[in-house]
Amino acid sequence: MPGTRQNPHFRRILVGYDGSVQAEKAVDVAISLAESLDSTILVFAVARPPEPATSVELEAVLDDAREHYEQGLKGVKQKAQQHDVKLETDIAVGHPGEQIIHRAETDKIDLVILGRRGKSMFEKLIMGSTSARVLRYAHCPVMVVT
Amino acid sequence: MENVWALAAMWVGLALLATLFAIWFRISTALTEIILGTVAQAVLVVLVGGGGLVAKTGWITFLAGVGAVILTFLAGAELDPLVFRTKWKEATAVGLVGFFGPFLGCTAVAHYILHWSVRSSWLAGVALSTTSVAVVYAVMLELGFNQTEFGKAILAACFINDLGTVIALGLIFSPFTLRTLIFVAVSVAVFILLPFVTPKFFRRYGGRVSEIEAKYLLFVLFAMGGLAVWAGSEAVLPAYVIGMVLAGTVGKDHTLVRRLRTLTFGLLTPFYFIRAGSFVSVPALISAPLVFVALFFAKMISKVTGLFPTVRIFKYQHEEGLYYTLMMSTGLTFGTISSLFGLNHGIIDQTQYSFLVATVIGSAVVPTMIANAFFMPRHLLPRKEQKPVAFPQTTASTAK
Repeated sequence: MPGTRQNPHFRRILVGYDGSVQAEKAVDVAISLAESLDSTILVFAVARPPEPATSVELEAVLDDAREHYEQGLKGVKQKAQQHDVKLETDIAVGHPGEQIIHRAETDKIDLVILGRRGKSMFEKLIMGSTSARVLRYAHCPVMVVT
Repeated sequence: MENVWALAAMWVGLALLATLFAIWFRISTALTEIILGTVAQAVLVVLVGGGGLVAKTGWITFLAGVGAVILTFLAGAELDPLVFRTKWKEATAVGLVGFFGPFLGCTAVAHYILHWSVRSSWLAGVALSTTSVAVVYAVMLELGFNQTEFGKAILAACFINDLGTVIALGLIFSPFTLRTLIFVAVSVAVFILLPFVTPKFFRRYGGRVSEIEAKYLLFVLFAMGGLAVWAGSEAVLPAYVIGMVLAGTVGKDHTLVRRLRTLTFGLLTPFYFIRAGSFVSVPALISAPLVFVALFFAKMISKVTGLFPTVRIFKYQHEEGLYYTLMMSTGLTFGTISSLFGLNHGIIDQTQYSFLVATVIGSAVVPTMIANAFFMPRHLLPRKEQKPVAFPQTTASTAK
């Protein structure tokens, strides 16, 4: 029910977006919540540079990531329009977990919604989990959509 | 190996594997290609014998050389001319100090402590004088400093630093004959003319399926590279400067840059980086690890000693620590190009080459790790851990 704020706690919702099926699910959950709570959504994607960055490769990775996210974010905006939900998008560069935590803090976000990527044990061991890091350090509630 | 296709398949197979490692571990492809080149060469020599990857084969050398030239051109084309025009004083001062500090410091350490010959020591100084523009730029983007005056000045300084490296590489080992004079004179004329001629040429004939822009650029790069080699210099010197002078025109043509990147990453740079890695001798590194340690600390200490007072002169005081750390990073591209130049021209031997490449890799990786460990989390993570807040009727977990 747009226009009737039922829960004052979740005025601004940040959705971590990486173009995956799980991220799309997270967006759907956020839209559904925003529709009933009259919240504003920030769909936030993070392009991760290779390390150590090398000059031409860095630009190539960032360009590809921006293009990939912009394509996906178009669909997300359309979904939001269909549900009459206020939605902003942004793309940052860096470590996804840290950028999400930082943005949630600076933008005074009330709820972070993430999709669970379902990485293999190997990837979890080596890379760590974005959602685990956000759960641990975010200043606000975090919802992980499976 | 006489079968060209089998040899090509082996190299491209290694490139494919290196790319998979880069994806899995989220590290740069250049790094995985160098390391895989080293490992594959060592394994093949032990298991099969002979020349291993036979990296000195003519066509491999050519593809690797073209990769280095185009990569250098593209790196130069990333310069933002507008930022450079507004910040040229700071950029030049910081960039020159950033270059001369490690250049002189590492040369001195190589000569007086490691007892390398004078020419080998100069080459060590050149190879370790670079600053990785990309490492600095990546962290700037993460922290949002790329929009600050300080950030812009430092970024422009990194280009000046690398320009110093390229010029030193091109001229120090040059024989200084009439050919050198001709090369310098023609280069200056071409660098002045290109920014005017190129956009006009592209407007008149560009935008066709025949990819005339790519052919034009390759012609200019090969012709100037040929002239450089004829004069006893190095082909990447004109390539980097051509990239810089065309940064405001060709560098802004996104489609063309992307096509060149596809050509470079898809075919050329794997040959360059795997080849660079294949010349690294693992036994040499294991036998004298302190040489690596000496070169590594020479680079770090000489870089920060020069930069510390220089940056303070321009009254930039707040983010200094971060940028000193980042400017200590050695660019893999220019570091390996310089080392390979030395090996190919007999200025350094394979053992010295191995130590230089290992130091280049170490000084690319370690500052990045330091930046991640000490600067990123402290800046980005909340300063105080907050107590959980109870929210009624929600499935969301609260922060710890």
